[in-house]
Amino acid sequence: MLVTKPVTELCALLIDELYGELPSRIFATLLSKGKSTLPQLALHTSMTPRQLRHGLAVLQQHNLLFYHLDAGAEFASYEANAEHAYNLVRIGKILEMIDSSFGAPAKDVMQNLLLSGQTRISDLVAAYQEKIEQANMAAALMGENGEVGSEANGVNGDSRPAKKAGPFVKSTAHLNSIICRLVEAELIDVVHPKTFESPADILKVVEKEVMDKYFPAGVKGNKAKVELQQRIAEGLRKVRGESKSLKRKLEQNGSAAKRRKLLAGLSGMTNGVHDDDMDPSLDPKQVIRINYEKCLVELRNRRLVQFATDMFSETTAYVYGVLLKLLTKDLPRCRPDPVMDIAEDEEENEKKGPGFVTTEQILDNLKTSVDLSLGIGKAEKRHISSSAAENIRQYPPEKKPKIEEAEVDGEASEDEDEDDEPSGEESDHDTDYKAPMMNGINGVNGTSGAKVKFDESAGPKEQRMDRPTQLRQHLLLLAESTQRFVRHCGPNEWTVDFPPLMNALREVELDSVIERTSGRQGLRLVRILRAKGKLDEKALPNVALMRKSELQQKMLEMQTAGFVDVQEVPRDVKADVKKSFFLWFCDVDRTLDRLLDTSYKTMVHCIQVLEALRQKEKDVLETTKRTDVRGREKDTMRKEYYERYSRFLECERRLFAQVARVDDLVSVLRDF
Amino acid sequence: MAANGIADDSAKLQILKDALYDEIRQHGSETRLFGQQDLLDLNIIPRNDVTLLVRVIQALTDDKLLVGTTNHHAGLAWRWRSREEAKKYTSLPNDETVMVYSIIDEAGADGIWNRTIKNRLNMHEAVVKNCIKYLEQKGYIASMKNVEHPNKKMYIKATLRPSERATGGPWFTEGELDTAFISELESIVFEYIKTKSAYRGSQAQPGGAASSSGGAIKVPKKGAISSGEATPRGTKRAATDISTDDASPAPTLNTSRGGNAKSRAVFLPMPAGYNQYPTVAEIAKFIHDTGITNNTTLGEADIQQLVDVLTYDGLIEPVRVGRRRGYRVTRAMKQDTVPFHKRQKEREAGIGLDQPLVVGAEPLSNGLTEAPCGRCPVFELCEEGGPVSPSNCVYFLQWLDLEDVPAAVAPNVALPP
Repeated sequence: MLVTKPVTELCALLIDELYGELPSRIFATLLSKGKSTLPQLALHTSMTPRQLRHGLAVLQQHNLLFYHLDAGAEFASYEANAEHAYNLVRIGKILEMIDSSFGAPAKDVMQNLLLSGQTRISDLVAAYQEKIEQANMAAALMGENGEVGSEANGVNGDSRPAKKAGPFVKSTAHLNSIICRLVEAELIDVVHPKTFESPADILKVVEKEVMDKYFPAGVKGNKAKVELQQRIAEGLRKVRGESKSLKRKLEQNGSAAKRRKLLAGLSGMTNGVHDDDMDPSLDPKQVIRINYEKCLVELRNRRLVQFATDMFSETTAYVYGVLLKLLTKDLPRCRPDPVMDIAEDEEENEKKGPGFVTTEQILDNLKTSVDLSLGIGKAEKRHISSSAAENIRQYPPEKKPKIEEAEVDGEASEDEDEDDEPSGEESDHDTDYKAPMMNGINGVNGTSGAKVKFDESAGPKEQRMDRPTQLRQHLLLLAESTQRFVRHCGPNEWTVDFPPLMNALREVELDSVIERTSGRQGLRLVRILRAKGKLDEKALPNVALMRKSELQQKMLEMQTAGFVDVQEVPRDVKADVKKSFFLWFCDVDRTLDRLLDTSYKTMVHCIQVLEALRQKEKDVLETTKRTDVRGREKDTMRKEYYERYSRFLECERRLFAQVARVDDLVSVLRDF
Repeated sequence: MAANGIADDSAKLQILKDALYDEIRQHGSETRLFGQQDLLDLNIIPRNDVTLLVRVIQALTDDKLLVGTTNHHAGLAWRWRSREEAKKYTSLPNDETVMVYSIIDEAGADGIWNRTIKNRLNMHEAVVKNCIKYLEQKGYIASMKNVEHPNKKMYIKATLRPSERATGGPWFTEGELDTAFISELESIVFEYIKTKSAYRGSQAQPGGAASSSGGAIKVPKKGAISSGEATPRGTKRAATDISTDDASPAPTLNTSRGGNAKSRAVFLPMPAGYNQYPTVAEIAKFIHDTGITNNTTLGEADIQQLVDVLTYDGLIEPVRVGRRRGYRVTRAMKQDTVPFHKRQKEREAGIGLDQPLVVGAEPLSNGLTEAPCGRCPVFELCEEGGPVSPSNCVYFLQWLDLEDVPAAVAPNVALPP
């Protein structure tokens, strides 16, 4: 993550918003001055060491700080963890994601973890113990009613103050099981000494270790360099693996974990069903924190599902969501680390990419209430070229597939004369030939008959397909899309090539920004340039079918906005402007970078506007801070005051929602 | 003797002239070039007498029936000119006019700029002007407009139609890009592709009582597609009846824009491998059959240009199924099921004026385009402490409905938890 000025501002504002001004100021100083020791900080911030220590402690607690202590050094040097600071924006989204996929109790645990930063398990348990006891006492007092009331509250998924959350976690065993599940999903990982060191420091340490151990005489030759790289990658992976120690420990307990995994499925419905006592109790001294990397994977899945909803129907998007969930279960992060993971790939070529999911797996995880017949149109069978639909792409797009060429050729001639009156036999042959092959390979028992039914029932009811076929239809649709949502990588095997897909998504986001700011004609021009490369100004109007004057105006407008750029190529030495060529082009990467920067600034502006509003409504807000008013604002405040207050809250909500929406864009551009 | 000889000679020459001219006309069109050998090979000139040939040609050229040109390959060559044309030349009063006319004639269908005429002939501007005035009065030449140089005054022979290059092809009317025509045609082509490449079904209205407690995604209710099976629209229609085709359950504005109805018509994507997506040839045929463009002929290349523009607009996308390259609508579900021309009529009747009328689905949006900042004209200047800053931003106040502070209280104010 590139820390630019708007990012610095944003991080400081976020920390200010959540943890107060003191840590925020220290953090901003750390970002602007770089790695600093305590005396240096004191110099830059003109704060007392005592204040600084307080602030640093808060930052440390929330993992917003790296520190490094060189052997023999007097002071540790601190460094800002901008990545985590930025992730504070996503807290709401992460909680919502946990809520929908793990249920409200898990969300509650996660929320507490977020509030208190990295926490020792025993502390968390103690906190909950107290709450549970309180809740039990309250329940005993109020009888059944209270219990039911708060339960309903939980289902709605509204945000509630933490004190009401008691009934969510029913016992410490329940808490334990929730933590176990989150750990297994890698959403929570373990804090170890190395987590406090910045990646650069870790790299330095590992490098030094490797040099001392394997190359005491220095590195000579290419072979040794490669080996060095591998050793370093290995060392880094080992460090990274440490935070997964708890997960490994849980997995060693085999059966219970596995069973729970099966039950966990994809919805929060299963919680409470399986018995909590099955879970191994966790080491109470273990310190845990949220693993943002894995959270991002989940958030990416959600974004992609939304993308699919935009492009297709909700049903197709739902199927896609299930597929993604299965596919990314063991995917630790969105983007592989350039140092660590590329070396890993070389080692074990098998594990390249996220693997694949079979149709049956998806089928097993679909909710039975979902009607798969929705969301896809129907066409007569003779209008469907199944060989084109079933096209298998064994390799990711950059590696040219050579296998299906012959197949396509053979079928193409058939296609051409099918235009008007395709003879039924011909296409029948098509499916006849295909269906047995599909069945033969994966052996979906019992469904094979239904698949051939396609051919038999020529009557009006032929469209009643069975569920696996319907599922396949959705998957094939996804695979056929221009965005390449899914790759049909083997018979009934599906995978997703994330990098090209995310590029497509990024382009879509960019396009929508362009379309919203420069109109459809602007979008047209940019896409022409993207397709054709550099284009002379004189050639553009012809392609775009636009008036020259309009076009020039639009191009200038978009140049100011940074979507396109122009290059002047003189025809001769005199460089006469009248004779020069003007080549328009668009640099997508640069535009995206610019968009990212704009997004940061927008977020900063949103928070600053909120701050301005706070200043404006200061008198009202101060009233609400009084203890006798708090919680009973509506009753105690004057009407006029209360209206101002509620209007302010509405604005606050909108502004935060807006920040979160812009973060959606930032995630797509930067993290996914 | 001498006089007789000359008269005899000139009579002979006249015969030869006519014979050669007729023979040349038999051998090719006005554009064909005849070299010296070609003319000798016509076997008109006795004994292949070159000097005689030269005389005959000279006489013909004087009569403007032959035009001499120099060809890079064959050297000097001639092409013939029709007698009517030649008559025009001979009827011209003076040499200047002839020269001007011949230059315009040579320029052909592309026309020529009057400045070029002047420069090429090295004549005084007034003379050229006079000549042109005379020629125009006579109806021999006409002024024209070239789309590439709209400001230049060009002339062309009155009998010729300006070339494609000069007029800019079917998209231009009188030298101007006919944007109204293009956008109209675009909407028709888009409508055609939309109905042909997506399945028209109905879908239960999401929302209402649908509670989504467990899953994150709202799933449409069961058994919604029922009317769709009876009428497999989009796949079985002939190209011609598309324009009269909206009699069937055309949803009212109310239902399609999210009314209370249980189900609404939607376009659904076709299953993978659908091989009936319309191709450019089919679209061209459709446009031809409807006869919308009665005074312009649109070739497949023109339609391709139009389709490309739609593709660049992101409204349609190319799909290759087998060897067939068809086009389909993007984001089928989000498309308006009411045909475009119907919407236009509605607008004329005063319905839906609050929404902009554009072809295709509403563009996607994201956080940036929604916030005032994404469209802010002074975004680059905006900074705390500057003349324009977030704290005094008027756009944000508008966006937050705070502009007229005492009047508007946001309607659904949520209480803080």
